[in-house]
Amino acid sequence: MEQRDVGTFPLAPAWRAKLAAAGFQTAQEVLEVGPCQLSKEIGISKEDALEILKVIKQERHSDGAKPSEEPETFRKCTALELLEKEQTQGFIITFCSALDDILGGGVQLTKITEICGVPGVGKTQLCMQLVVDVQIPECFGGLAGEAIFIDTEGSFMVDRVVDIAEACIHHCRLIAEMHPEEDHQIALETFSLENILSHIYYFRCHDYMELLAQIYLLPDFLSGHSKVQLIVIDGIAFPFRHDFEDLSLRTRLLNGLAQQLICIANDHTLAVVLTNQMTTRFEQSRSSLVPALGESWGHAATIRLILHWNNKQRLAVLYKSPSQKESTVPFCITSHGFRDVQLSHSNLIPAENEANPRKRPRIEQVEEQ
Amino acid sequence: MILREGLCPGLSAEMVQALKANGIKTVVDLVSSDLEEIAQKYSLSYKTLVAVRRVLLVQFSSFPVNGADLYEELKHTTAILSTGIESLDKLLDSGLYTGELTELVGAPSAGKTQVCLTVAANVSHSLKQTVLYIDSTGGFTGIRLLELLNCLTEDEEEQAEALRRIQVFHAFDAYKMLDVLQEVRSYMAQQIFSTSGPVKLLIVDSVSAVICPFLGLRQPDGMALMMHLAREMKTLAKEFGIAILLTNHVTRDTSGGFKPALGRSWSFIPNTRLLLEKRKDTSEKAGRVASLMKSSRQPFGIQAELDLRNWEVRKSSPMTSGEGLNNRMVCLSDPQLVS
Repeated sequence: MEQRDVGTFPLAPAWRAKLAAAGFQTAQEVLEVGPCQLSKEIGISKEDALEILKVIKQERHSDGAKPSEEPETFRKCTALELLEKEQTQGFIITFCSALDDILGGGVQLTKITEICGVPGVGKTQLCMQLVVDVQIPECFGGLAGEAIFIDTEGSFMVDRVVDIAEACIHHCRLIAEMHPEEDHQIALETFSLENILSHIYYFRCHDYMELLAQIYLLPDFLSGHSKVQLIVIDGIAFPFRHDFEDLSLRTRLLNGLAQQLICIANDHTLAVVLTNQMTTRFEQSRSSLVPALGESWGHAATIRLILHWNNKQRLAVLYKSPSQKESTVPFCITSHGFRDVQLSHSNLIPAENEANPRKRPRIEQVEEQ
Repeated sequence: MILREGLCPGLSAEMVQALKANGIKTVVDLVSSDLEEIAQKYSLSYKTLVAVRRVLLVQFSSFPVNGADLYEELKHTTAILSTGIESLDKLLDSGLYTGELTELVGAPSAGKTQVCLTVAANVSHSLKQTVLYIDSTGGFTGIRLLELLNCLTEDEEEQAEALRRIQVFHAFDAYKMLDVLQEVRSYMAQQIFSTSGPVKLLIVDSVSAVICPFLGLRQPDGMALMMHLAREMKTLAKEFGIAILLTNHVTRDTSGGFKPALGRSWSFIPNTRLLLEKRKDTSEKAGRVASLMKSSRQPFGIQAELDLRNWEVRKSSPMTSGEGLNNRMVCLSDPQLVS
């Protein structure tokens, strides 16, 4: 568009100020003068002038002046195309069928899922379960993907992942025995403990600088590792809960982070899972536990899951989701990882059958034996 | 606007050169300077300068429109789009008005995205209009939209039709969003969406997600960006007669209450502002209350109850089934609206 305001282009503020001072208002005016004249008019080097023109021309190009298809297609589509994409892309199961059920099948790709909870309720356990589950071969109903684990608290325990992975392999073995199909055997050959562990990319970030740097570098890493389908950040809150005097800076950084993550999730069709701590909020005379990082962070995640204790039972509450209604289910953590509560098991299986046509029910049946 | 040859009759190249050499570069510079002084100093003709200034002023001033004409035009161009939620329609004085910005404000999980999806489903299916949906938070889900459409019609072909009419854009930062708005504008101008009639509704969910990363103390850029977005949306709404539905976050003010995000300067932008809240006093989890925070038609503070749970089994009212579009586009001559 010729009439687009110069201020709406991603130019350096200093250049924008100079352009404005020289009276340039619309893209057209800038484009009409050549780079030489532009550099003279606003007193910058010719290289900078060329840079400005490049930015403005590129922008105009993607504005649809000439319909170049490649970069446009992923940004724009009809709801029907999007629905078809959603229906084919699958979920990362949690091995707790009740939780899968309220999530609509499992942890969704292209979305940010935030897991909040008090210490020891099982946030990190769920994360470790997910980095294993994302690798389940396709013929067993998994995604056969890889996982990135960004650890800010130092709570990642590789020996625990080994337990979970072994239990997961064991399940798949049992399925393969029950349904001796060729592709199951082939898949099992590569689905080994060593392979699982080598497909978890672990990053340890000690403070928020490292975390931010890592996240802004992720697109580069992902272009080299296209099979990654899950990014776990355990936890997002820890580096941001101290050393911040300027709270508005924190909010700004966090908001930017959230936008960067959803952008990555959408571009690479992967799931982002964050864990968050809880904090106490005082209202008049009452106090209540709420997720940390404040009100505006609450908007960052697309799906928010809160884990908490009720007496001795662990419960998961789906607090926010655009596609599923709010609900609460119990879960437990066994030596094999994240599992259903056995008592309610028989009630949940029929619902599971209806809700999820994938191969989950078969895994459940095996589990019962 | 930069002064250049041919901008208006009488402005010659030499004149521009002479003016430029003395620091008068833009139209504003010329109009606001002392012409007599310039004419004496740079030996330009005073008469020409005055003439040029006159022409420029006329060229850049806005044109007066008769109020009666305006009203006539309004009656022809304004449409009111039913949101598909009866109580919300009532609150908004029968729906979303084209040419206006309606903003939904709410805490996380207050139901902003649900309202957006419901409106999209209704306008696309019941009103057979193309809907543009800019998603900046990843909240758009086709599966939920299908569920909502399922309540409106069971015919799969119709559902697919309705889904095809919803055009989804992903824009995860402010510049991308400006790009998309620009794209929408050029498409509107070229009528590319016209295969299924002109676009009447643009949904932006959410506007604060892209602006917040830029806002803060000592961040004048963020403010400028916000205003650019606002202006772009206002222009789209007015020029092409589109209703725009925005969502905005809430932040906590010092007293612990909620207030809409993006601050005071943004609060002037939307024409109508709705606050969505979860109901605290009942055990019903799906109950939501919408209250009016700003409106030029309805009294401030009136409330309506929305039930997210019941949206699935909501019966289609006679208004939303089988009638032609024209019946639903209530004109402003409607006595109820004028009063």
